[in-house]
Amino acid sequence: MATVSRAQVPAPAQEQSEARSRFGIPWRTIAIYVTLLIVCLIVLFPIYWMLTISFKTSRDIYRVPSLFPQAPTLINYETLLLKKNFLVNIRNSFIVASAATFVSVFISALASYSLVRLKYRFRGAIGKIILLAYLTPSSLLFIPLSVLVAQLNLGNSLHGLVIVYMTFATPFSTWLLMGYFKGIPPDLEEQAMVDGATRFGAMMRVLLPLSAPGLVAVGIFTFTGAWNELLLALIFITSEDKRTVPVGLQYLITGDVFLWGPIMAGAVFSALPVMILYFLAQRYMVQGLAAGSVKG
Amino acid sequence: MAVPAAPLSARRPFLTMARREALGGYLMVIPVCLVLLGLVAYPFVYAIYISFTSRVVGDPGVFVGFRNYQFLFNWVSFNRALTNTVTLVIVTDILKFFIGLGLALLLNERIKGRGLFRSFILLPWAMPAFVSYLTWRLLFLPIGGGINLLLAAVGFDFGVIDWLGPRSTAMPAVIIATVWRGFPFWCISFLAALQNVPQEQYEAAKVDGASTWQRFLFITLPSIRHVIIVVTLLSSIWTANSFESIWIMTQGGPSDATMVLPVLAFFGLQSQRLGEAAAVSVAVVPALAILVFIVAALLQREE
Repeated sequence: MATVSRAQVPAPAQEQSEARSRFGIPWRTIAIYVTLLIVCLIVLFPIYWMLTISFKTSRDIYRVPSLFPQAPTLINYETLLLKKNFLVNIRNSFIVASAATFVSVFISALASYSLVRLKYRFRGAIGKIILLAYLTPSSLLFIPLSVLVAQLNLGNSLHGLVIVYMTFATPFSTWLLMGYFKGIPPDLEEQAMVDGATRFGAMMRVLLPLSAPGLVAVGIFTFTGAWNELLLALIFITSEDKRTVPVGLQYLITGDVFLWGPIMAGAVFSALPVMILYFLAQRYMVQGLAAGSVKG
Repeated sequence: MAVPAAPLSARRPFLTMARREALGGYLMVIPVCLVLLGLVAYPFVYAIYISFTSRVVGDPGVFVGFRNYQFLFNWVSFNRALTNTVTLVIVTDILKFFIGLGLALLLNERIKGRGLFRSFILLPWAMPAFVSYLTWRLLFLPIGGGINLLLAAVGFDFGVIDWLGPRSTAMPAVIIATVWRGFPFWCISFLAALQNVPQEQYEAAKVDGASTWQRFLFITLPSIRHVIIVVTLLSSIWTANSFESIWIMTQGGPSDATMVLPVLAFFGLQSQRLGEAAAVSVAVVPALAILVFIVAALLQREE
């Protein structure tokens, strides 16, 4: 096999000429660009569709379907915010996601510092358990959680939802932060401790500032994870005034009439903050993603 | 942690440096351990227990042994959900692998605007999952949906197709939406791995006369093998347990054609039959556990 194909192997010089034709037209580069452009169009089309539908009246959506908006209108956003109480959903999501992120990043930062820097028995085992917990999907836990939440009287409350969200937020942020802390050499903190800083002081003044980008990235990941969560919120929130954004929107599609205009306006509203955050912190997000550890 | 050392060091202190460090360590890790114990480990064990009882909402029920599982394996919906879940995972994994790797190889070329393309390709991943599946449900509408319009615009006018309606097109449509949302994770992970492959190896292989294909097969693939396995396993775990994709697009319909296990378990909870619902999610634990343990071992070896 190897010998056969070896005969066909072009010399390096020939290969150069393959990439560039006789007339100097870089076909290979053009092919790459065309492929990438097509992929970008496929990626962008659904996003474009979400936007244009959000600017169309229901009449226009069904009676004069077209790829481009004919008479853009803000009526859907008006309906969504004034008649569908979407602002309440946004407020609820914001409260739940912020609280879940704050609590989970705080306790995770302590735990991951301890697991990465301090020496004691069982820390290897605890690290393993955290990873296993992170890989345990919520779809496995929601039935027992529903029983527990009912027993503890935490149902239909935002703080109950925050507590339940710890199931995925805590192992996730601890696992990610352990990765970030491991990437920072301990020498700097040791130096600070030699210079008289306490371990706590070294952590506060050396490690935390150095890992700030990591903390921000983990914060954003945890926030968006909680912001996007549908299954648990759907189970535990029963009254309209406590609905989070995903729950509010999914009730719009299960209603009698499909209000696609307002639904897409809501989709734009829920996607925008998250996508802006990702765009701003893209570099750190990609690092986290590239570690092969962030939910896709 | 911040205990002043001077007065203690006169006698042989009980709290030596090492012990103090360990004590501080335990104190800092305890909150997370409590959360894991109460909100992951206990519910997990509890789910297994419930799946062996006849529990319904309001009645803890009694221990029934394997009766719930016997019921499941004779239940058409469960078998269909199991087949669909496995199909969805395998087909989307294969598609995401080829699309992700192909694009990663293209983005690894030295071309202008690479960063911009990468940002665009990341967009589906940055979009909240429920928003993207809502949008796809809209796209697949017969009238007012974008897919039919787009196909007509580029010359494939199939008429008015309700993609998520009939059995024949519902599953393929769901697969397309899942791949659209999922491939950026594969692509970017592969790209990062490709950028870590040492260039010298390629140079050396070129000198030895290896073709592009041989270099790909004998240098690129082995170098990123680890990432391929981890990404495939992670993605399989997530796809198999994804609730919102199916719930938002089809709710498992038409007549179970796209039913998957998490949605079936959710319906079980809604109909208040907790024992059977728990059995639906616990039934896949053995398979899931194998995937989880392999990926956990790989991720830990990585360090």
